[in-house]
Amino acid sequence: MSAQTNTAGLLRRNLMANLQTYAIMLALVAIWALFAATTKGAYLNAQNFSNLLRQMTVTSFLASGMVLVIVTGGIDLSVGKLAGFVSVVAAYFQASVWTKVIPDQPILAAVLSILIGLGVGVLWGIAQGYIISYLRVPAFIVTLGSMWILNGAILLVTQGKTIPANQPAFSVIAQGYLPNWAGWVLGAISIVLLVYSTVRGRNQKRKYGFELAPLFLDLIKVIFFSALIAGYVYYVNLYNGVAVPVLLLAITVLIMSYISDNTRFGRYAYAIGGNREAARLSGIGIRKNVFQIFVLMGFLCGVSGVVLASYVGYGTIAAGNGYELDAIASCILGGTSTLGGEGTVIGAMIGSLIMTSLTNGLQMLNVAPAWQYVVKGVVLILAVLADVYFKKNR
Amino acid sequence: MDEDIILDIKNVTKRFPGVTALDNASLSIRRGEIHGLCGENGAGKSTLMKILSGVYPYGDYEGSILYEGKELKLENRSIRQAIEEGIAIVYQELTLVPSMTVGENVYLGKEPVESGSINWDKLYSDTQQILTKYGLDIRPQEVVKHLGVGRMQMTEIAKALSENAKVLILDEPTSALAEAEIVKLMEILEHLKSLGVTCIYITHKLEEFFRITDTVTVLRDGKIVTTQPTKDLSVESLVGYMVGREMKERFPRGNRQPGEVIFEVEDMHAVDPEESARKVLKGVNFNLRKGEILGIAGLMGSGRTELVQTIFGEYGKITSGKIILEGREVTIHSGYDAMKTGISLVPEDRKRHGLVLMQSILKNISLPNLDKFASFMQIDKDSELKESLVFAKSMAIKAPNMFIPCNSLSGGNQQKVVIAKWLMSNPKILIMDDPTRGIDVGAKYEIYKLMNELAERGIAIIMISSELEEVLGMSDRIMVMCEGASTETLEINEATEEKIMALATGVTLTENIQTKKNEVLQ
Repeated sequence: MSAQTNTAGLLRRNLMANLQTYAIMLALVAIWALFAATTKGAYLNAQNFSNLLRQMTVTSFLASGMVLVIVTGGIDLSVGKLAGFVSVVAAYFQASVWTKVIPDQPILAAVLSILIGLGVGVLWGIAQGYIISYLRVPAFIVTLGSMWILNGAILLVTQGKTIPANQPAFSVIAQGYLPNWAGWVLGAISIVLLVYSTVRGRNQKRKYGFELAPLFLDLIKVIFFSALIAGYVYYVNLYNGVAVPVLLLAITVLIMSYISDNTRFGRYAYAIGGNREAARLSGIGIRKNVFQIFVLMGFLCGVSGVVLASYVGYGTIAAGNGYELDAIASCILGGTSTLGGEGTVIGAMIGSLIMTSLTNGLQMLNVAPAWQYVVKGVVLILAVLADVYFKKNR
Repeated sequence: MDEDIILDIKNVTKRFPGVTALDNASLSIRRGEIHGLCGENGAGKSTLMKILSGVYPYGDYEGSILYEGKELKLENRSIRQAIEEGIAIVYQELTLVPSMTVGENVYLGKEPVESGSINWDKLYSDTQQILTKYGLDIRPQEVVKHLGVGRMQMTEIAKALSENAKVLILDEPTSALAEAEIVKLMEILEHLKSLGVTCIYITHKLEEFFRITDTVTVLRDGKIVTTQPTKDLSVESLVGYMVGREMKERFPRGNRQPGEVIFEVEDMHAVDPEESARKVLKGVNFNLRKGEILGIAGLMGSGRTELVQTIFGEYGKITSGKIILEGREVTIHSGYDAMKTGISLVPEDRKRHGLVLMQSILKNISLPNLDKFASFMQIDKDSELKESLVFAKSMAIKAPNMFIPCNSLSGGNQQKVVIAKWLMSNPKILIMDDPTRGIDVGAKYEIYKLMNELAERGIAIIMISSELEEVLGMSDRIMVMCEGASTETLEINEATEEKIMALATGVTLTENIQTKKNEVLQ
């Protein structure tokens, strides 16, 4: 048995392993093409494209954590309301606390609001994770209860009113854009890092005496992704530049992908979802791992909530309504198995982008909200149906 | 031929892309006989069974099958149709709903319905009739999960027979049964035979062919090698037909000299962690020497698996007793602790407990060993691959590369992956719970050789086995368990099947064994 096989084998393996990701990417391109055609190109102009990516951020933070939760065989129904609760708490501090305590320091105030928001998310995650993993109450029930509790908490904090969170320093988080030059610098840094990691990877493989993937394959990969990054920066710079929340999301996705693929924590999550008994008998601390995943999920709800407050500019009683279902749907569209053990963060992001693309496009076409729901529902079921059919006939 | 042929399989060929699973197979099965099917994994036995049960429908294969003199035409995946025709299968893995009663399971999907509601009285009385007719000793109202494996197997058979089956196919029915339960199963099969039911019997345990079958057909690489009356065959000739070459010995004896005592368990008592009133271990004593293979024998339910999982820190709550490793008492709270101390466990059921089937060979081998390659922040994937490859190669796992998911490997290769994964953790003590269950003769032999090599390298091995022959063939000493307690540890030269059975059933007089065996089943 060799470590790797020839180029064709390598390509085939890569194709088979990521088939679903590629298929869903194709679906995304098809959806974009359809809307671009029906809106006479307006759908894909710089402004709408930039908005599209910005719109997906709030639920995408949730989806990036939800992947790991579902991969371990769990579910988290509270994420939408937790993000909503974080958003009203952040708004409350912005509107009513900092203005009295530190009236002249808007930046410090914004930073403190962010920290409080993240803290609330993490604490909630700790409590929830503890009950689920150590006290062994099923995740479905704990997070369902949690959802109601948080809904009540939102009403308590807002007193049924809308709290403004539109202070300029705070608004930057979800409404800010990088200057054009900064976008280019960031793009350049990303490309350099990409090249560096590819070269480093090849060197290390050589050190261990593995057969290397053909150079042209890695070259094509690097060129493709570099072009994607440069193309993105160029295109959004035609409008306002790189949006801050999109940048935050990109960083989060990179970290989450890395965690799920390259750390023990991530590997264990997949093993637990794939076969809990085998994982247990392999000396993996299942409770600890599940606990940590819920804490991480809480943190990401914190991020999502802060971005939400800044994005809307208000803390409202309806904050986060239904986001948990969007997050779950994104994961499933992106190939996460509800039975556990399978799923990628990147896939979930593409799933999330598809959901947002549909909403955005249908809105542009002035389709009534009722029909928007119908279309989204149909697409979700069709996607899974196609997957089931495809897996059976592979 | 003037014999009464119930199933006449003529020149059947079944091709899959790239492989011919069944190659021009012809076979006649006489009414009322017990016909053994023998062959290594991948020889074509399952393919033949799937054709007979309608999983591969008529037209999906070449050749023809005459059943009761007429062409058997089964629709796609219509197992129900096969059952209606009178062909029933009992699969190796049990297919019962644990939370339902015996009766509900037997009539699952065909409940007697009167004006829209199930007639429970009829269901239970019909079930009772079937059970009585076939001499199965179970209560129809019993909930399946409370039955032992042996009785679950009986329920499975009752379920298959409930449609007045003419042909009953049994796919490795004894793989989960202990000796006493096997005896009972054999009695049931004899009884069925006397009622005129034809049985096709598949097993990996060669002795069983000689215990029960009238005729044996051997398959190899999709071809039928021979069909002979069982009385003309011997274990040696059977193995010869199966592997296509002479195999001198089934249990290779290594040349090893066990060293000093490395591991001791003293008077261990433990309770079920979920239910602390239930005692699972009631006084276990044994020791283990460096470089020795210690066999643990005992009936199903004697606490063998519970013992090793408790030692491994993943099952029972120890209430008293000591575990001593290299002269020092150790406490083990989890599998992780056990690994750190140098104890590894190859669990009983590789599919359920040993492997993450959907994941690659690589990920399975490295799973318990990620600490070796990982810092807090990352896993060094290249060194992970390099190290795992070393163990995969030393295990001679047959696969094109390390990225193949384990569910596409054969049973023997899967077991090698499980062993590789645990060898990588560099254990001083390797516990193997039924390591050759359900794998074919060739792969078994490889695993035996491997165990010998490991013992020669100084690893102390504890082997649990349901097959007495295996325990006798491989061990240096044999510890026998009975009802949660250790009885005696026998030196291999003084151990016999009779002595082991006597200790395992808790009787001292050999003539009582048979009665005790039956009592165990009651």
